[in-house]
Amino acid sequence: MEVLSQVEIAFWPALADSKKADLEAMPKGYIDAALINGAIRTQENLEMVRLLREKSKLIVAYGACAHLGGIPSLANLYGREELLKAAFGDGWRPGPPPGAPQEDAPPELLPKALPLAQAVPVDYTVPGCPPPAGLIGEFFSAFLSGEMPPPGHVFAKVKALCEECPRTREERVLKKIVRPHEIVPDPEACLLDQGIICLGPVTRGGCSAACPSAGMPCTGCLGPTPKAGDMGLSMVSALASLVRAGEEGEAAIPSENEILDQLVDPIGTLYKYGVPDMPCAKEGEG
Amino acid sequence: MADFEPKVVAFLCRWCAYAGADLAGTSRLQYPPNVVPIRVPCSGRVEPSWVVDALQKGADGVLIGGCHPGDCHYVSGNYKARRRVYLLKKILPELGIAPERVRLEWVSATEGKRFAQVVADFVEELRALGPMKVMSEG
Ligand code: SF4
Ligand code: SF4
Ligand code: FES
Repeated sequence: MEVLSQVEIAFWPALADSKKADLEAMPKGYIDAALINGAIRTQENLEMVRLLREKSKLIVAYGACAHLGGIPSLANLYGREELLKAAFGDGWRPGPPPGAPQEDAPPELLPKALPLAQAVPVDYTVPGCPPPAGLIGEFFSAFLSGEMPPPGHVFAKVKALCEECPRTREERVLKKIVRPHEIVPDPEACLLDQGIICLGPVTRGGCSAACPSAGMPCTGCLGPTPKAGDMGLSMVSALASLVRAGEEGEAAIPSENEILDQLVDPIGTLYKYGVPDMPCAKEGEG
Repeated sequence: MADFEPKVVAFLCRWCAYAGADLAGTSRLQYPPNVVPIRVPCSGRVEPSWVVDALQKGADGVLIGGCHPGDCHYVSGNYKARRRVYLLKKILPELGIAPERVRLEWVSATEGKRFAQVVADFVEELRALGPMKVMSEG
């Protein structure tokens, strides 16, 4: 689809020479649609998207980071102080380079990396990491034809990815959980049936099951289906139903646990593109 | 922390733990009044998202009560519940929640006394753990 001939680029810092001042000079609602990618990580990000919100009729969260927080939001599992310490060592404070004025200091980190919708009201979402071409196309045809779906729409399917996956799923009982590199998967059988953690059952369709078609499990980049809600917790439910070590009963508990323990890095695997927003600080370690 | 009264949401299977709680009540057994019991058809029906939801919305602990192994009305719901809780407890610490805040117990319909004891123990443990903390700075 020819998009560029039908739109005028008002602001695109990555490609054109556009400055914040250009944006500030625009009247309210001057931009028809702002496509924003990335998580909101710094005070500067926050100011920028607030400004874009003011100058745009529509705000579109574009890509998994804007949609869900993305991989940067895995840092939310740690506090801001912990992060700075891990990255820069003990005692380092964000500030300007020696001798430079304060305005040269790096932008201040927010306590958490936020999905766009937690920073400003979002009208539409084009999900994915990266958004699949088909879904980008769907967005632009709707936008350019003036026939947009109701606000809040996510340009992906409501149904789960499994429904469009070419592999055959039989919901087999799992006697082992393996990582993708540990086996050569059968080319036609469902990856989850083969013990590979594939998030297809809880992820929105819309990419024609690109990853499972290529032999890799879905990691959930289009985000959870409305039915799944919380990806990781829905997947915990599904896995608990599938894992079996022979006849169920008290005697099977240790071997069941052994299988469940084969789930390596549960958070990174089940919440790769955004961890749930927990209102609590880290416990347990003090 | 002396005046902290932990709030507990208890998902209780109607065939066993809920009846056990009832029995504790009708037998006038003393147990802490901190529990909000919710009757469910089977422990295997308790979704992990309900547990997390309860903790996010102000519960300091969640108790899931099911039938003893071999006694589940639906044969294996309690085993599924056990696997769910096992996996959930792997995730909770990384989300910043102490896994001890979630407890799965088998309580039969005749074990009123045991129910009272389970609740009393859990409440004491939660009291020691303190309230669910709210992230202030991060
Ligand atoms: S491979 Fe993944 S997406 Fe395909 S059917 Fe199996 S679980 Fe679903
Ligand atoms: S298969 Fe899953 S991870 Fe891969 S592109 Fe589709 S939604 Fe994203
Ligand atoms: S019926 Fe009580 S745990 Fe299943």
